[in-house]
This record gives sequence, structure tokens and C-alpha cells, in this order.
Amino acid sequence: MEQDAQLVQQCLQGDGSAWEELVRRHTRRIFNICYRFTGNRTEAEDLSQEVFLRVYRTLGSYRSAHGGFATWMTSVTRNLLIDHYRRTKRDRATDSLDDAMPVVENKESSARRPDEQALLGELSQQVQAALTKLSPELREAVILRDLQQLEYIEIQRVLAVPEGTVKSRINRGRIELARVLQQMGVRPS
Amino acid sequence: MTPMNWTCEQIEARLSDCLDGQLSAEERAAFEAHVRVCAQCAPLFAQVSQLVGELHAMPQAEEAPRLVYAILDKTLGPRETLSGWRALAGWLRNLKPQPVVYGIASVAATFLVIASAFGFSLRKPKLADLSPVSIYRNADRQAHYAYARGVKFVSDLRVVNEVQAQIRDNKAAPGESQDVLPASAPKKEPGSTDGTKPGTRQQNRANGVYHNFEMLAEELPGFVAPFRGRNIR
Repeated sequence: MEQDAQLVQQCLQGDGSAWEELVRRHTRRIFNICYRFTGNRTEAEDLSQEVFLRVYRTLGSYRSAHGGFATWMTSVTRNLLIDHYRRTKRDRATDSLDDAMPVVENKESSARRPDEQALLGELSQQVQAALTKLSPELREAVILRDLQQLEYIEIQRVLAVPEGTVKSRINRGRIELARVLQQMGVRPS
Repeated sequence: MTPMNWTCEQIEARLSDCLDGQLSAEERAAFEAHVRVCAQCAPLFAQVSQLVGELHAMPQAEEAPRLVYAILDKTLGPRETLSGWRALAGWLRNLKPQPVVYGIASVAATFLVIASAFGFSLRKPKLADLSPVSIYRNADRQAHYAYARGVKFVSDLRVVNEVQAQIRDNKAAPGESQDVLPASAPKKEPGSTDGTKPGTRQQNRANGVYHNFEMLAEELPGFVAPFRGRNIR
């Protein structure tokens, strides 16, 4: 974490290699948050680029006293994902009827690239499909807690909500995800 | 002190607290007591518990390698791209820390040498070429072919030696050659047989043919035997 703060300082002094190091250190984590949230690899790559562009432009506003760089970056990512979700809500509404009763077979036959299928195991794909059925608030809470394994306090900073709300969203998110998996036939009734 | 009696709603609300170890000992006892006997909460707790374990064990998805470069291009601007020999050198540098690449390359080279030695055509591979009989025949043919080429090479060398020796002999006795082919002699077509005595050049050719015949006789006595006794000189 201290190394991140040092790299940020070097970036602000115009050191390009420090920025490159920061990008290499955080790309996978940011890509994973975006990928788990959208469920689409191409979209996740585009969003990851947008996140880094936004971070690059607002790097001067980062204060290490307010938390780690990774937490700050996660909160930039989260804000961008919510913006993206709202922007594309209308598009999703048109095909929401198709998603009304999600089943594993439908998901398997969806247009997913072969390398994507190889990338994820069967369970991972099922969980990914179930995640996209959750509301964005519950989805982000589960992703941050259980996939990114952030502490409650970090999630609280990222989401900018009270601790009770964080706990409640994580709990509801997990229960909802388990139920969706059951509806998909992944879990026994 | 009476133990707490939790309802199903309470269990559902505190489920993650139990999984994340955020219940007091008393709360945990109440939680477990309810889950043990409740037909609704027991499977729910089991499913969520299993799900959380799976989520924690789930590996990170790997991003495309180009993503880092795309981000750097978008933020720092396009990078200088290498081309030609510099690109090739960079590519080879990347291969350097991978000894397995050298291993694969040497195995492939060995395979190619062995395959070509056994007459297996890589351009037009056939399954029949892999049968032991075909391998033996191909290897036998290749061995004979190599031997024949070796014999021919040695034979050619000997012919060249003979010719050079003849030239040296001719140079050593220049007077004789003047007599044989005077400057005023009419020009003859090479190899012409007009009844006159053949020139030195024609004589050399005849000598060369004779030497070749002698060498052939040594290599293949059966083939040359019928020609013995004929005047080829």
C-alpha cells in the first residue's frame, strides 16, 4: 500500500514508468470487478480502460490519508460501474423478458467467446450468470466482499454507506444469489 | 439465564454475521440451536455457507494481455512500436527466459532429421509411411542412395585426378604435342573421324574414357566383362 502511495507521488511528478507500474499492479483486480459486475468480457475491458483514464486524470485528488490507493481506485470503479449500469438500463429493459427465468442451458447457449468459456469453470460461469441477476447494490456488495475479499470498513469507504447498510447488502446479496442458483437448477431445492 | 429463541427472520438477517464470525458466543448458540431444528433455515444456511466458500475459492479471471497496453496507450499516448530487426530481437529476448522453448525446438529438429533419414515425407505425410516395413524399405533405399552417391563422388574425383595427371604429362613433353598438331594444320571438328591421326585433345578424351571404363570394371566386374577385349582406345 505504501508502495502505491509512492508510485502515485512519482506519477504526479511526471514519471511515466511509475504510472505503468501502477497500471500493471491493478489491472487484473479492476478488470475482475468490472467483469463480475457486467458478466461481459469486452464490456469489462472497455470499462477498465475508462477507470484507469479517470484515475489518471484525477490522480491529483487522491489523498493517502483518506485510505489506500486500491480502495480509492475501487471506489472510482464502483462509481463508473453504477453510471454504466444506469446508462445501459434502457437497453437491458428490452431484453429483460428473456432473462425472466434464467436457466443454465440458456446461459450456455448465449453468445460467449470460446476463450471466455475456457477461462471460467462450469461453476464460475453459473455463479457469474447468477450474479448478473442481482440488483446492482447487492451485486457490488457480494463482489467486493466475497470475490475481492475486501474488509467491511473498506467496502463502507468504497460504497460510501454506513456499516449496517454494508452488512445488510452483503447478507441479502448472498441469500439472493443462493436462491438464483437454486432457480437455475445448480443447487438442489 | 434462558437461551435466546430466534425466529426464521432473525436467522436470515444474521446469516452473514454468523458466517463472518461476527456473532457473540450466546448469539451463535441461539443461531445454531434454531438452524438444527428448522426445516427452512437449515438448507438456506447450508446453501449460503457453501456459496460463500465457493466464491472465496473462485480464481480471478485473467484479462487479455493487450489490456495493459491499451490502458497505457489511452493514458500515456501511443508507444513507439518496434519493427524489423528490433522487433525480432525483442521477440527473441522474450523467448530467452523460457528454456522449454529450446527443448521443444531441439526435439522438433531431431524428429525432422530422423524422419527425413527414414524417408518420411513431411510435405505429403502418409500413414502408410509409418509402418515398420515402409520405414525399413525407406531406410534401406536411403542408405543405398547415400552409398551410390559416395561411390560416384569418389569416382569423379579419380577421373579429375587422371585428367590433371595427363595434362601435367603433356606439359612436361611440349615437343611431341607440336608434332602432333602443327599450327598450320586444318581445323578439325572435335571428335571427327576422317581417317587422320587423332589430335591430342581427342587422345585425352579417349584416355579419360578408358580410365573411367577401368574404374567401372573395378566397381562392377560383371557388367564390364562382355566389353573386355574390344578396342575402345
